[in-house]
Amino acid sequence: MSDVYRRIEVSKQGTAEIAKFKDKKILDETALDELRVELLRLINDRQGLDLLLDFSNVEFMSSAVLGLLGQIHRKMGVLKGKLKMCSIHPQIYEVFKLTNLNKLFSIHKDQAEALAKF
Amino acid sequence: MSETPSPGQASYRPRHRVDVLMAEDSRIQAKMLEKRLVDAGHTVRWAINGVKAVELLKEKRPDIIISDIEMPEMNGYEFCKIAKTEPSWQTIPLILLSSLSDPVDIIRGLEAGADNYVTKPYEPDYLLGRMDSLLDTPLKVESSAPGAEMEVTIAGQQFKVQAGRQQVLNLLVSIFENAVTKNKELIVTNQSLSVARDSLQKANTELTAVNEQIERSNKRMTRDLHAAAKVQQSLLPAKAIDVPAATVAWKYVPCNELAGDFLNVFPLDDEHLGMFVVDVSGHGVPSSLLAVTVGAFLTNRVSDSSLLVRPGKDGGPPVVVPPAEVVTQLNNLFQADNQAGLYFTILYGVLHAPTGRLRFASGGHPPLLHVPKSGALKLFEVESFPVGFVPDVEFTEETLQLNPGDRVYLYSDGVPEAMDEKLDQLGNDRMTALVESLRGEPVETNVTKLLESVQAWCQPKGPLDDVSILGVEWKG
Repeated sequence: MSDVYRRIEVSKQGTAEIAKFKDKKILDETALDELRVELLRLINDRQGLDLLLDFSNVEFMSSAVLGLLGQIHRKMGVLKGKLKMCSIHPQIYEVFKLTNLNKLFSIHKDQAEALAKF
Repeated sequence: MSETPSPGQASYRPRHRVDVLMAEDSRIQAKMLEKRLVDAGHTVRWAINGVKAVELLKEKRPDIIISDIEMPEMNGYEFCKIAKTEPSWQTIPLILLSSLSDPVDIIRGLEAGADNYVTKPYEPDYLLGRMDSLLDTPLKVESSAPGAEMEVTIAGQQFKVQAGRQQVLNLLVSIFENAVTKNKELIVTNQSLSVARDSLQKANTELTAVNEQIERSNKRMTRDLHAAAKVQQSLLPAKAIDVPAATVAWKYVPCNELAGDFLNVFPLDDEHLGMFVVDVSGHGVPSSLLAVTVGAFLTNRVSDSSLLVRPGKDGGPPVVVPPAEVVTQLNNLFQADNQAGLYFTILYGVLHAPTGRLRFASGGHPPLLHVPKSGALKLFEVESFPVGFVPDVEFTEETLQLNPGDRVYLYSDGVPEAMDEKLDQLGNDRMTALVESLRGEPVETNVTKLLESVQAWCQPKGPLDDVSILGVEWKG
């Protein structure tokens, strides 16, 4: 079933599911829709899930990706799970800051730091 | 030797059970044929070429010989010739397996003295049938005098045929049977071709119909797109904006026919000028639909549905809604989860014309650029979430006191985040530096030049995002 996820690389560390974005650029709507489907499939309505999104491969993304992150954030809230993000490229972090979303999301330097906080 | 006999079931029951000598250089073909012959009750000896076949002939006289033609060391014709020259072997029926691609093959077979041809690829049952009919009529020793040989010329080649009458007849019959079989196959192939052609024609007709339908849908969609784009245009400021206290200029370039951006500037009442830039995430139809829906609420027409100007209580004068309250209300109305994850950013300002007091609120929007008549440019960052992101948040109001000749610019992220070929962004610094250099020019020139520099930055492909720029100068 390795072909279920094309846009993310999924691994498990303790109780946490780690989804690492594979794309260098997330710019078009198709990529966004596929990401949405794959992330929701990974979450699979699991209560109290620990989810870490790893951005280390991502160098550029459209601001529409923020909409997706918001959706995942709210979904995780409903499921009483924890959502963390890590390894965000400085230029992308600017977009988070601009929209104040760095205050909304739990953002960490790298996987180790994020996993320690679950 | 590439032809493979089809692995048919042992359905043909032979009338004779005999000893078969088989000359075949392909191991696989030999094994398959051997199995088929053994299944039919024959005994089989196999030679890998003509030389070996002669050895096996010498060892023991078989009842029938089946020989391939193309073989190393000694081919089928040469072997046949030897078998048919030796008087004690002459009466052993010999079948050549040939591809019969050339009429000369037949003469070569005759010249070699072969009794029968089976063309490859063949059905094993067909070969078994051939063997039976050859075994039905034992060959007689023909007392052919040396003078009985015939000379035949085909395709410029001379052949000396010494075959007896029975052999010639057998061979002719086998060739004729071959031709009949091939003809039958041809007829069947022709029929399936004709069926295939019919279904192809049918498929073609259906394809044409589908194509026409797609074209019709496409035309309708194009028409709808144009209509939707027109609706969107109605969200933009009127051509000539005539407000006594301010000079206004704007540019709006959607990257597709339908945009997620829109902007407007209009008087809210005698004293207030409303202005905003909205940027819905994404592009195309879903984003533009949300833009139009949001736009319907951002109107200066006094009504209960306008978020900007509320009818006054008890017939009193209309009330201009404070900017922060407008954005907070928008956030209550447009939660992203109800609209396919789409959210938007907005910068909404209300300028009090008599005093130059600008109140504004931001929902995750890029900062307001303030260009004072004299002094340094300033970007007003407001910490706030985009609209639709987080339910039940309060947005805050900022105030900026303008002096006569001061300008403010509202714009969408398509300006600072314009990307060049290497995906480098235009950035706030380059944007403000440009406006700085144009301070002496009219607002109109500033807005035009800013758009031009965004477009130049994005060469050769052009902007990937909608670009909205709105400039307002307070005359005082």
